[in-house]
Amino acid sequence: MKKSGFFNHLLEKNEIILFWVIAMELVLFQFLGRNFLTSGNVSNIFRHSAEIGLLALVMTPVILTGGIDLSVGSLMGLCAVVFGILVKVFGIDPLSAAMLTILTGAMGGGVNAALVAGLKMPPLIVTLGTFSLFRGLAEALTRGSESYSGFSEGFLALGNSDLAGIPAQVWIVVVVGMMIWLIVHRTTYGRSLRAIGYGEEGALYAGLPVRRNLSIAYIMAGAVAGLAAVILVSRLGEARANAGMGYELLAITAVVLGGVSIFGGSGHVTGTVLGWIALAILNNGLTRISDYEIFGEKISSVARELSGLLTGLLLIAALALTICMKTLAARRVAKQT
Amino acid sequence: MKTYSRELTVGVALLLLLAALAVFAPNFFDGQPLVSRLASQMPALVLAVGVALVIMTRQIDISIGSQFGMCAVIAGTAAASGMSMPMAMLCALLAGALMGVVNGWLVAGLGLPSIVVTLATLVTWQEVLRLWQKGRLLALPDGVQWFGTSQGTGQALVIGAAFLFLVLMAWAMKHLSIGRRIYATGSDTEAARLAGLAPKATTFGVFVLMGILAGVAAVLNLVQSPQIQPNSGEGLELKAIAAAVVGGVAITGGRGTLWGVLLGLMLLVNVNPALTHFHQPPYWEKAIQGLVILLAVAADGIRHKKQKRLK
Repeated sequence: MKKSGFFNHLLEKNEIILFWVIAMELVLFQFLGRNFLTSGNVSNIFRHSAEIGLLALVMTPVILTGGIDLSVGSLMGLCAVVFGILVKVFGIDPLSAAMLTILTGAMGGGVNAALVAGLKMPPLIVTLGTFSLFRGLAEALTRGSESYSGFSEGFLALGNSDLAGIPAQVWIVVVVGMMIWLIVHRTTYGRSLRAIGYGEEGALYAGLPVRRNLSIAYIMAGAVAGLAAVILVSRLGEARANAGMGYELLAITAVVLGGVSIFGGSGHVTGTVLGWIALAILNNGLTRISDYEIFGEKISSVARELSGLLTGLLLIAALALTICMKTLAARRVAKQT
Repeated sequence: MKTYSRELTVGVALLLLLAALAVFAPNFFDGQPLVSRLASQMPALVLAVGVALVIMTRQIDISIGSQFGMCAVIAGTAAASGMSMPMAMLCALLAGALMGVVNGWLVAGLGLPSIVVTLATLVTWQEVLRLWQKGRLLALPDGVQWFGTSQGTGQALVIGAAFLFLVLMAWAMKHLSIGRRIYATGSDTEAARLAGLAPKATTFGVFVLMGILAGVAAVLNLVQSPQIQPNSGEGLELKAIAAAVVGGVAITGGRGTLWGVLLGLMLLVNVNPALTHFHQPPYWEKAIQGLVILLAVAADGIRHKKQKRLK
């Protein structure tokens, strides 16, 4: 019987570990927390992390090329503000405004693409620069403090209502996830991303359009950051300059947890999805623990700080684990030969 | 002359900015406010020198803002609990060194990419600080501000200490073997290893030094105000990295001077006061900072391409 690629990859080591992590989280929070595994809360878990899921999905191709995009969180802030201005100041209808916002995101990604792919500068410093630039533009446009609210009911429904029992924005994540999966694992373009990640020089000599393909990855990341911004504004009902602050870390953590090599070249979208779910459950679960205390405070009241701290530690642990597995595998090979 | 063309460009830009200010806003150069502004930038200068060394070894440390905040709160808590000023300062340096060891071990020891490692430690220290302080202001006891002397003496001490440090470091980078090792590690790690220069130890050492310098910067900041905000370090990493990159430290490692870093920082921090002096709103600070980084990066990229073509 021929197994499909999808299930084959599910059986890989990293994904199995993640399954266990998720299962352990579920058991732990069910016992320690209140009202954790209720249908309302399960939809909350996904509703509140849909934006991070989108960013993680689209960060996967970028990291596969051996690059990184630190600017996606800031770009979300800029896009949220642009969307707010388009709707509230210019009175454009939300759907067209959303399209224009996604276009703005794509242009932001284009700045990264021009510098990374065009001028061959390291993605790290380029996206650190745009990290500052995009957030700064968002702050400048809102003069530091203004925010936009009072959006129409129809638009707010995108972030707060259900479609067939599942939060509306989760459908978007599912569609984007399937598209990214198809792009990464079922097209020659996806294959070229990994070739670039293994060795850019080699990919170039093999005749791959490295510059074009790298650009597409960064522009895609920008466009989806714009989409995530629209969803965030719709969920919160407010567009502020600080939207998406720190989201780049969560997205990168989800990708690295999912077993995508930070050095580029190998990884799987399924892993990213599992990494995202593990993070989402962690974030939500901590807010449900109100019977236990830490540092003299209820865990649920410091859940945000605690989940940030755990995310940082988790990222380091996941990185260290992949390195250790690599050395062990190398040793095993050395022994056999 | 050609070797330092990058630094010269920044110097000329800085001179032009200052000249414009001298003509259009002469009160920018009023004595006391100018000294105060200069003193308030000294912590950033120390951080920028540290991060320049990290970048020269072809690594990056974006956790320095969080390290700075941790060191400041640790020193402040130590001083508030009745420790003498030198002991409190030592606590800050030790805490910084420990955080540097963590980064150094993960990057040099385990071979993990510094950007992700320091992204993780950035958040970890930041959240530890938030859990610990819950955003409270920490009042400092008497005798801490301006090292217990007058404001004028204190400011002179802060500026003097920072510049003495800069001169010593710039000299060491040029004339001591350890300085040359940093350049060698950054320009070609493998060649440095074959030459017996122990690039891993150098990288580790640079990260530890960075931590200690975060402690120094925290102390230089601490003595300038009667209290500390636990989030005082947030965003400082960008300022320091921007100063280094603008000052001509190549992000690809192995190139740059500390004098360039000084020029870069001065250019960067004077843009915002210049905006206010020209009656422009100050909200643009972060955007301009980002734009300046990108311009510096793009300039390096274009120069790199030209050099390649000449070959």
